[in-house]
Amino acid sequence: MTRDRGRRQLAMMLAPYLLGLTVLVLAPFAVTVVLAFTEYDLIRPPRWIGTDNFTALAEDPIFRTALVNSLLFAAVAVPLRLTIALSLALLLHRRSRFAGTARTAAVLPSAVPEIAYGLLWLWLLNPLYGPISQVLRAGGQNGLTVFGRTPPQWLTDPVDARAAIILMSLFTIGETFVILLAVRRSLPPDVYELAALEDATGWDVLRRITWPLMRPVLVLLLIRDAILSLQFSFLPALVVTDGGPPPYATTYIPLFSYRTAFEYLRYGYAAAATAVMLALTVAAVALQWRLLRRHEALRDR
Amino acid sequence: MSGIGLELAGVSAAYRGTTVLHEVDLTVTRGELLVVLGPSGAGKSTLLRVVAGLQPAITGRVRIGDRDVTTLRPGRRNVSMVFQSYALFPHLTVRDNITFGLEVRDTPRAVARDRAAAAAAVVGCAHLLDRRPGQLSGGERQRVALARAMVREPDLFLLDEPLSNLDQELRTETRGELKALHLRLGVTTVHVTHDQTEALVLADRIAVMRAGRLEQVGTPDQIWRTPATLFVARFVGSPPMNVLPADGPLRPAGMPVLPAGARIGFRPEAVRVGQDGTDVTVERVDVVGEDAYAYLRLAGGDRIAVRLPAAGRPAVGTTVRCTVAWADTHVFDEAGHRTVLG
Amino acid sequence: MTRLRRLATLALCTLLTATAGTACADHGDGGGDPSAPVRLLVFGAPEELAAYRTLADAYTRAHPDRTVQLVEAGDRKDLLARLSTSIAGGEPPELFLMNYRFYGQFAVKDAIEPLDDRITASDKIDPADYYPVAMNAFRWRGRQLCLPQNVSSLAVYYNRTLFEKYGVALPQPGWTWNDLLTTATAMTRDAAGGVIRGTESEGAAQRPAVHGVGIEPSIIRLAPFVWSNGGEIVDDPARPTRLTLDGPAAREALKNLVDLRLAYGVVPTDEEVESEDDESRFANGRLAMLLSSRRSTTTFRSITGFEWDVAPLPVYRQPAGILHSDAYCMTRGGRNKQAAWNFLEYAISADGQRIIAATGRTVPSHMAVANSPAFLGPAQPPRSAKVFLDAIPTVRALPTVSTWPEIEDVTSGILENALYRGDRLDDVIRQLDEQTRPLFARAEHPR
Repeated sequence: MTRDRGRRQLAMMLAPYLLGLTVLVLAPFAVTVVLAFTEYDLIRPPRWIGTDNFTALAEDPIFRTALVNSLLFAAVAVPLRLTIALSLALLLHRRSRFAGTARTAAVLPSAVPEIAYGLLWLWLLNPLYGPISQVLRAGGQNGLTVFGRTPPQWLTDPVDARAAIILMSLFTIGETFVILLAVRRSLPPDVYELAALEDATGWDVLRRITWPLMRPVLVLLLIRDAILSLQFSFLPALVVTDGGPPPYATTYIPLFSYRTAFEYLRYGYAAAATAVMLALTVAAVALQWRLLRRHEALRDR
Repeated sequence: MSGIGLELAGVSAAYRGTTVLHEVDLTVTRGELLVVLGPSGAGKSTLLRVVAGLQPAITGRVRIGDRDVTTLRPGRRNVSMVFQSYALFPHLTVRDNITFGLEVRDTPRAVARDRAAAAAAVVGCAHLLDRRPGQLSGGERQRVALARAMVREPDLFLLDEPLSNLDQELRTETRGELKALHLRLGVTTVHVTHDQTEALVLADRIAVMRAGRLEQVGTPDQIWRTPATLFVARFVGSPPMNVLPADGPLRPAGMPVLPAGARIGFRPEAVRVGQDGTDVTVERVDVVGEDAYAYLRLAGGDRIAVRLPAAGRPAVGTTVRCTVAWADTHVFDEAGHRTVLG
Repeated sequence: MTRLRRLATLALCTLLTATAGTACADHGDGGGDPSAPVRLLVFGAPEELAAYRTLADAYTRAHPDRTVQLVEAGDRKDLLARLSTSIAGGEPPELFLMNYRFYGQFAVKDAIEPLDDRITASDKIDPADYYPVAMNAFRWRGRQLCLPQNVSSLAVYYNRTLFEKYGVALPQPGWTWNDLLTTATAMTRDAAGGVIRGTESEGAAQRPAVHGVGIEPSIIRLAPFVWSNGGEIVDDPARPTRLTLDGPAAREALKNLVDLRLAYGVVPTDEEVESEDDESRFANGRLAMLLSSRRSTTTFRSITGFEWDVAPLPVYRQPAGILHSDAYCMTRGGRNKQAAWNFLEYAISADGQRIIAATGRTVPSHMAVANSPAFLGPAQPPRSAKVFLDAIPTVRALPTVSTWPEIEDVTSGILENALYRGDRLDDVIRQLDEQTRPLFARAEHPR
């Protein structure tokens, strides 16, 4: 009797979340996938066209550029972000007067609304008047750096623009940092004291104790970041570079979808691009999961 | 080469502003097993940590063997420690746990493994070398921690309440093994515990601590027979020594006049229940196997504990008579220090 | 398979209808309560929005029982997004203001209510009062879909004070491209006031303190010069299938445009434009000339540091201008069509046009108002406002195909690289053709 009641209570408590999940995530997901096979402009009824959208995507040079950009961004930004978050967590996990302020500083950029963050960087990266350019040109002559080279053309050169978007993403590691900090602080302190007694150097401790103990969480965060990286490039790319210096240097898949849908009114095509992005995400997660499992199995043997 | 294994001279330590060790002086001879005994909060673990170098000494000096290690970092003191939680690396096998210190010091792999196997054999966990700590029981983990401490052949062993996490039966058994191990290896050992039975069984000498100070340092026999303070007298022995005012209802025959404020103490084993002596009421009787512990109330309201054979024990509520011999009585002055009367 | 497809489409339509209201259905009547607020969707710089607010307030003052509610979008893309989503949501604004280059996608989707019947029935509006080139730009498949508010061409704004300071001859009507080049070269100066060759300042040495001319590398800035040189930008203006910038006339115009940067350095570098856009640069007195439409006038009227004026576009062989026109369109799905029409009438009528002309935003599409002191009056700059009117007979419209916004985006990227990076001209022309062909193929046409 009580078991049934327990189950009913559980169901009732889960209900609001499940409702939200269905309405806000699963239903739009399903609609997107179906839309990907139609031609739809929000004004006239959708028209079924099968896989035409996907064939068109394959031939679309702009989409191909967006795809490569997104993959490159994930490949470069994600490991960098994790490394920075981990380094900060390891540096700042001990109690001290300085650590508290430093931790807040590390988390702050993530707390800033994305639009405000993007607009701030628009100013920072301004080629002539922005602080970064001013600092880079300091000490140099005629607008060159101290070493006599031209400073990076953040907003006008394709490669430098991509670097700028990656640079912007390196500071929003607040969530990852907080998680890694919590994990580091939860590691048993007596194990570290023992290491001190065994005269282990900082590097030994990092390699033999900290890294293996934090590795499971790091892998999970890697997976999470890889999923998110496809999305959080959207706002900076839009606000700061508006798709980037030609040719579409910082157009990522989300930006491509946004443009195609809301500026060109091709919602079916945009849905197809989004579906490709979703498929990529699933593939990335599956791959990482498999690698993790294989690694664990090897280790346990 | 001196015979000193460990020496603390005037060592003080603090934790968050409060002093937890007050100028402790302590000497441990080489090869001796010293047990530091005391209640929780006495500063025993702090003492150990200061010796290990995990906590700094505010004043005083620490010597291990001939070396003054006060300013040396923990890794340089050649000390091994077994933590209360054992501090095993959860992600390494037992073998890797044991060889950790050796590998950090760049010992060749094969040598390290051999030594690990040898140490494991000595403590009796050789069959567990390929397991992970998560798969071991408490007793097994403790052995691994011991093996890890031994394998480096240090100058000093520090054991922080190593038996506290084990159940009673295992504790007794392991106690014996620890003693055997110490005899075999002959390394100076400082063993911290709050269990006085453990201390009495294991120690070559006991150092009783209270509130950051040493109350008494002596052999188990000395601690038992001639406790230096009221605290030591009552801490060692179960049930604790009975302590009464010198001018109370129960007086040993032949007791001289004692100064005002003095107190007398006698162990439960020293009380004779019979036909003569002071009248007492039996309030409670605990029977443990062949022994019975009777709790008696005296005329003035004081209570004493008596150990009797279980057979023939008095019933609760009855009035009996008891006496104590003067030879079995300890005298303490007003401040709680032992007084020896000429 | 077809049945499955139909079924799926039906299911999707049902789902979308359920969530999106009346997207799949048509709105029948144009009734509604005339005193309910009419919503007008616009975008623009703050000064432009102030102009529209003035018009709305004037309307409310003239008709106290009616209200007009301005829905202000951030920029054109924001406006497009809002419009399409609100139409799908079943609650579109009654009116929106849109450039003829972008309204095609809505016309083709039948989202705009044709106005022919209302115009005929109206006693306030006579189509003959308006410039034909603007009216025609908003005819789709034989019907008048929107009523234009303004008729502008491209003009050359110039900093009169700066010209006088350096003693350079002012632009004159009928001046040629070479004249423009000479003037711009003479006006590109360093901080000390001496003439400087802008190309030498690429990333080193000195930057010009003042640049001679500013022009946006886009197809709408290139087109009038191609036409002026006798060329065409598309193969068939009525039903274009490709860009024809490979013709000799077009090629020459394009080469001259990119040479402004590559050979003569009289336009700012991409870095400089990224740091400070041309309009801002002109307003700060660091740009001698700027090619822009009437839109810039509202922003420039707030300039206090110097005097400015406008000059006609330079000519190759014959004068040619490019149409800039915005019109009021009524959405099919709007609720309050009668009230919307009342405001539209007012806005397009001489009264409404006078009010908004006074703000400087428009070159009125109403011919009488355009030739009246309301527009030409010298009270506010530009004093030579007649330049805009003189250009109207030479003005041509761009093709209004439904995919034109995409075409503009694609071509602006390529032209940007041509201007700032110095890509080979033949490659540029080839890329422009190749990348826009699929877009033309997909497009729908107004005829």
